[in-house]
Amino acid sequence: MSAVPLLFGLLTFTFFIIHLTPGDPVLLYISGDIDPQYAANLRATLGLNDPLPIQYVKWLKSMLVGDMGVSFSMHDEVVNILARTIPNTLILTTSALIVNFAIGIALGMAAALRRGKTTDYIMNVVALFIYSMPEFWLGLMLILGVSLHLDWLPASGMHSPLALYLPPFEYFLDLLEHMILPVFVLGVASAAATGRYMRGSLLEVLGQDYIRTARAKGLSETIVIGKHAMRNALIPIITLFGLSLPFLLGGAVIVETVFSWPGMGKLTIDAIFARDYPVIIACTLVSGVMVIIGNLLADILYAIVDPRIRYV
Amino acid sequence: MSPRFLIFAIACCILLVSCGKGPGKKDPMSETAVVALSGDADNLNPVVSNSTTASEIWANIYPTMFDVSFDLREGKLKFNPGLVQSWSFENQGRDVVLILRKGVRWEDGMPVTTEDVKFSYELYGDTEVASPRRNYVESMIFTNNKFDVDKSIKIIDDTTMVFHFAKTYPLQLFHLNLPPVPKHVFRNADRRTLRTNPANDRPIGAGPFKLEQWVRQQQVVLSRNSKSVLPSPAKLERTVFRVITEPTTRLTELKKGTVDLMQPIYPDDVEDLQTNNPDIKLVTLPPRAYDYIGWMNIDTEEYHRSNKRIIRPHPLFGDRRVRQALTYAIDRRAILREKLKAYGELAVTDFSPIFRWAINKGLVPYPYDPEKARQLLRSAGWTDSDGDGILDKAGRNFEFTLYYNVSNKRREYVATVVQENLKHVGIRVNVQAVENTVLFQNIDEKRYDAFIGGFSVGLAIDPSDRWGDVSSSFNTVGFQNTRVGELLKLGLHARDERDAGPFWMEIQSIIHQEQPCTFLYWIKDIVGVNRRLKNTNINTLGVTDDMHEWYIGDPRAAMSP
Repeated sequence: MSAVPLLFGLLTFTFFIIHLTPGDPVLLYISGDIDPQYAANLRATLGLNDPLPIQYVKWLKSMLVGDMGVSFSMHDEVVNILARTIPNTLILTTSALIVNFAIGIALGMAAALRRGKTTDYIMNVVALFIYSMPEFWLGLMLILGVSLHLDWLPASGMHSPLALYLPPFEYFLDLLEHMILPVFVLGVASAAATGRYMRGSLLEVLGQDYIRTARAKGLSETIVIGKHAMRNALIPIITLFGLSLPFLLGGAVIVETVFSWPGMGKLTIDAIFARDYPVIIACTLVSGVMVIIGNLLADILYAIVDPRIRYV
Repeated sequence: MSPRFLIFAIACCILLVSCGKGPGKKDPMSETAVVALSGDADNLNPVVSNSTTASEIWANIYPTMFDVSFDLREGKLKFNPGLVQSWSFENQGRDVVLILRKGVRWEDGMPVTTEDVKFSYELYGDTEVASPRRNYVESMIFTNNKFDVDKSIKIIDDTTMVFHFAKTYPLQLFHLNLPPVPKHVFRNADRRTLRTNPANDRPIGAGPFKLEQWVRQQQVVLSRNSKSVLPSPAKLERTVFRVITEPTTRLTELKKGTVDLMQPIYPDDVEDLQTNNPDIKLVTLPPRAYDYIGWMNIDTEEYHRSNKRIIRPHPLFGDRRVRQALTYAIDRRAILREKLKAYGELAVTDFSPIFRWAINKGLVPYPYDPEKARQLLRSAGWTDSDGDGILDKAGRNFEFTLYYNVSNKRREYVATVVQENLKHVGIRVNVQAVENTVLFQNIDEKRYDAFIGGFSVGLAIDPSDRWGDVSSSFNTVGFQNTRVGELLKLGLHARDERDAGPFWMEIQSIIHQEQPCTFLYWIKDIVGVNRRLKNTNINTLGVTDDMHEWYIGDPRAAMSP
């Protein structure tokens, strides 16, 4: 329940910050073909002429009854926009998170267990190389290489233009095809970092007395690593996982922009530039809730992995 | 999991999805054109939609009153029958009688009648609706400052109606060309929330296409409306408008052949496309947009302090000689060569070169002449009295901040050149990039002394907002000139467009002399079209103006689905 005032404070803070930011949302659409009085009429229709405290009270009333308002730039209910965008983001970010942790943990383990050997060095160099590449650049290079020159995968979007006519399985394959490049950029780049954490954590655990004891007891290496070392080595990874959860709904601005993926990250950024106040606040709400849930989940996972941790 | 397994797994994924493509069936893309958009449509209801992207789409769904074309040789709009079969002017031109075509039906089978047209104009004119096209009704009849639809529009029968105007002017037919929406769909709609009315998402039109699918932020699919008689069903089975925001990705899709048409192509990409992509045709559009440097003509501090009552010349730019000097001091040709290459032309005034009949050909662009600039500044009293390299007058240095919108690389370049050029004549320019919304608001409120702005002009000449009232948001530099005010009235009230020509030419002459802004260049947009797409006839009215005539010419060049 303590999260409720936290969220309320966050939203109020966002409301005032965004309204106090210079820039008039309706002026973006003024051009030679548009009525110069249009801005004034629209401002009145959208309630932007009210004093800020009145706007705040109106907004508060609406939020309390679950009305998030109407987007200025997209001319649609914010709830509808979120309902459309959140699944798109979840598809991308969940896949990326799975790839990130699956590959990261596997690579980290492999590097730790072969410490000082050629495999370890190669993995370190490759991990650093991938981690150092900006997502924007990596995305564009993949589009040029894999999509344009090799013509293996589509360059952008979630579906082919006529995917709506495809049967369900082919529709799913079409989605999968479009997911590969953005998930690769998001997942593999982060996996490099996760792998480095995992390697360091596992090496630290492998040097502990209880591991030596387990080996001295004659336990097989699989049990020593899988049962004794891994559970402890995973604790920092869980923290990392908890911190990554807001990303699930926060989206990935750069990757979504490069690959034209209609997700939350791009929605938030577009809304900020368009001064689309209702959408900005809704995105903040979603991110805020995810941070809270992420922390809660991380705490639960700590207790599962480490029996010493108990919450009263 | 070993790295080898990982590589194997990724390869399997690619293989699996590749298996989904099977040869044999007729390629649906051989009947489909794909157009890349930089952003999604805001709304598919022409009454409230305010994005150009959206208008490219809804113009093919809704019926058009006239079949309009723009004659580039004459530089004039031509009106041919559309939903309006014939028209005549009465009462010395103040009344326009329209006869609608019989037998035109909305997609749902209801007839398109004069009631629909009148109701639509009522919506366009309602301030609660806040239509961006409300100015189209401004010369009709108003009662108590409110658009009086009953006095403005009289219905005789289902196909005959009369529009009453308060005056005669050249744009009357242009202002009668707003697309009607079906009254039976929107009759009970709440005016204030028309923007979000669910019916906007499933438009009922009568044009050559109908909406098949709109996945917001992803794509809009239009398919052939086989019942359309305005002007006829589309030749293509469907057109897909895909939202691809990143310019490099959009260009890649065009090169790949997965997009048939995209706009704009940047001048820097032209050479590569011409060399490596012979299957892509580049079409240059006539110039309708220009960039300019706005010099604030009026003292904005005094203007705002007096609540817009006191208008005095700006301390730096209030003198015409100073504004002329600034234009002489800036090497506009160098900017044009570097940033637009062959896809731009030097701007003389804000009258687009497309209006050939109205252009004052006697005006010569100001050349780059720093010496002349120094002379003019000296004659205006600006000298370097303290020897610090910066001109000064009455204790004030000639120094100002030039604002432009961040991430606009072309204007960033202009700002740098201006800073460097003006340094040579003794003026210190500080350059400041600001976010779009902030820039627009400050320009609109006349808060900047100097800024780089842009403007796109409509299809008919109407400079009244730009150079009329000082308080107009389009008069971004606070220009005022009594003679220009008189000429605007004369031009806008001329019975025939041609009659307004001499007035427009005189205005250009005054603007050229006064230099309220330094007009930089006109921009010719470049459109990339895959050669498999035929009969595109891309023109100044828009890339999709003749979309119902498009067809796929070479099936061998059909794209993969």
